[in-house]
Amino acid sequence: MTGQDLKTWRAKVARATVSWRFVVPALAVVLAINWMASTSTSTMMTEIMIMALFASSLNLLMSFGHMVSFGHAAYFGLGAYGFTLAVVRGGVPPELALAVGPLVAALGGLVFGALCVRLTQIYFAMLTLACAQITYTVLFQWYDFTGGDTGITGFMIPRFGLSEKGYATAVLAVVTLCLLALWGIVKSPLGLSIRAVGQDRYRAEALGLGARRVQLVAFVIAAFFAGVAGTLYSVLHGAAFPDYAGLGITLDGLIMVVIGGLNSFAGGIWGAIIYELLATFVSKVIHEWELVLGLILLAICLAAPAGFAGVSARLRAMLGGIR
Amino acid sequence: MVLIQLVNGLMEGMTLFLIASGLTLIFGVTRIINFAHGSFYMLGAFLTYELVPLIGPGTLWGFFAAVAVSAAAVSALGILFEMTALRRIYGKDGILQLIVTVALVLIIRDLVRMTWGANSVPVQMPDALMGALVVGDTYFPLFPIAIFAAGLTVVLAMIWVIYFTRAGILLRAGTDDRGMVALLGVNEKLIFTAVFAAGAFLAGLAGGLSAPYGEVNYLLDTTIIVSAFIVCVIGGLGNLYGALAGALVVGVTKAIGVMYFPRLSMVLIFLIMAAVLIARSLGRQGGPAR
Repeated sequence: MTGQDLKTWRAKVARATVSWRFVVPALAVVLAINWMASTSTSTMMTEIMIMALFASSLNLLMSFGHMVSFGHAAYFGLGAYGFTLAVVRGGVPPELALAVGPLVAALGGLVFGALCVRLTQIYFAMLTLACAQITYTVLFQWYDFTGGDTGITGFMIPRFGLSEKGYATAVLAVVTLCLLALWGIVKSPLGLSIRAVGQDRYRAEALGLGARRVQLVAFVIAAFFAGVAGTLYSVLHGAAFPDYAGLGITLDGLIMVVIGGLNSFAGGIWGAIIYELLATFVSKVIHEWELVLGLILLAICLAAPAGFAGVSARLRAMLGGIR
Repeated sequence: MVLIQLVNGLMEGMTLFLIASGLTLIFGVTRIINFAHGSFYMLGAFLTYELVPLIGPGTLWGFFAAVAVSAAAVSALGILFEMTALRRIYGKDGILQLIVTVALVLIIRDLVRMTWGANSVPVQMPDALMGALVVGDTYFPLFPIAIFAAGLTVVLAMIWVIYFTRAGILLRAGTDDRGMVALLGVNEKLIFTAVFAAGAFLAGLAGGLSAPYGEVNYLLDTTIIVSAFIVCVIGGLGNLYGALAGALVVGVTKAIGVMYFPRLSMVLIFLIMAAVLIARSLGRQGGPAR
């Protein structure tokens, strides 16, 4: 991103508002598709919505805090396991345990984040990766408590016994609320300080902001929402596996943000939609899905680094500018 | 038993150093973290698996020749990648740079899975290194000792190149101030490509050398890159001696930790890293990334 692009982008974030003209019809479309489509489509939509929340929580760190987390799956996994273990080992009623998952993820974010924000840029990325791998290893190897590599299954009726369509609607409500909350945070004074530290930490510090503390708060918030996503995912499948905290999910999230568009709030959402649809349909046709994905990523990074949001913004500008 | 694990740990530490040093050198000059470095390591191991039977199965020279050829092939791939992709994104957003190397990880992983399948492949150990060295009543396996020695040779050669040759001067100058080197009339692009080639070579070498002693499968890339990252954090990126110290500490801790806390040896390494970070909030001797 050139300096000029950055400047216009900063101005855009400051001015942007939630466009209800767009959000309300979008919600209606999702509900309509969910109503008419098959149950397998509903499940896929549920997964897309959950991943959109996960990618958006990562996007809060990447686009706004300018912190590249390479271990965001840890908090997805902690959310799933926090919920699952509260039910299985803690005997907490599942409805109540729904709150435990995100809180455990936020706590994990606090512990790891306190360590990670001591570093910047590439060191930060490497340390978040290491933290996530530790989480994965513990989940994978601690058989007596976490069930090890076989994970935990069969402890509850998936989706609390809701139908696929019913659960999709519930997830739509939760994810919408969470995304609005995330957007509210981005626009709040706290979000302003997160952006300030992300853009120029030294200037922000000179203005009296505690850069590390702001980053830690951002990290915990992102971990919390990743935990919500993890919990929803765990309820969807009625299971928890160590892979939820694995590098695969982290990379999925990163790739979604890049495909959808860095430096754009909607990037995480677009990315999740595009990525999941591609993954579903391409992997049906071609066995080597990762190879295709790698080539797509290379093409995006080299040719269209602003991702889908950037391309669509350019298209809109070309079409005379709707906004 | 502790002593034997110590030897194994030193060997793992030495291969980790070969990888981490490549990461560090590349980062020092290009400011890019090559996430695909673990993939280069993995490719080195698989190519060695293919080449050992062709060049000289079971023989000592056959093994080392196969490793060297594999490393050279990996290095060639590195050059291709640097010239076609990386060269276009130097100085761009760090996130993009990471994602480009991640794309390479995905591509290599699928190609490896297509070629060699999902199961581990066995790499033949040279006959001469099958035995053990008997000291008192302890049997030290010969192979890790030999690999440690081979690694040490590479390290010494590396130090010689970096501190006593013209190429080394250019490398150090490029790390300190790229712009100045270019101003002085040195072909900056050539330095970048050469450093990337050398880093890929080292990773391929490490993969080939340790191939007979562990599982060689398509999941190797991410396991290795995480360990290499930890080594770099402990040692401080761009710091060769730090990487050496970090690699040996990680290797030995892993090997000995497995004996006492079989399930938690990775956690132990994490604790060391956390301690190092808290002691020096920017990594051992590492400055903030520019």
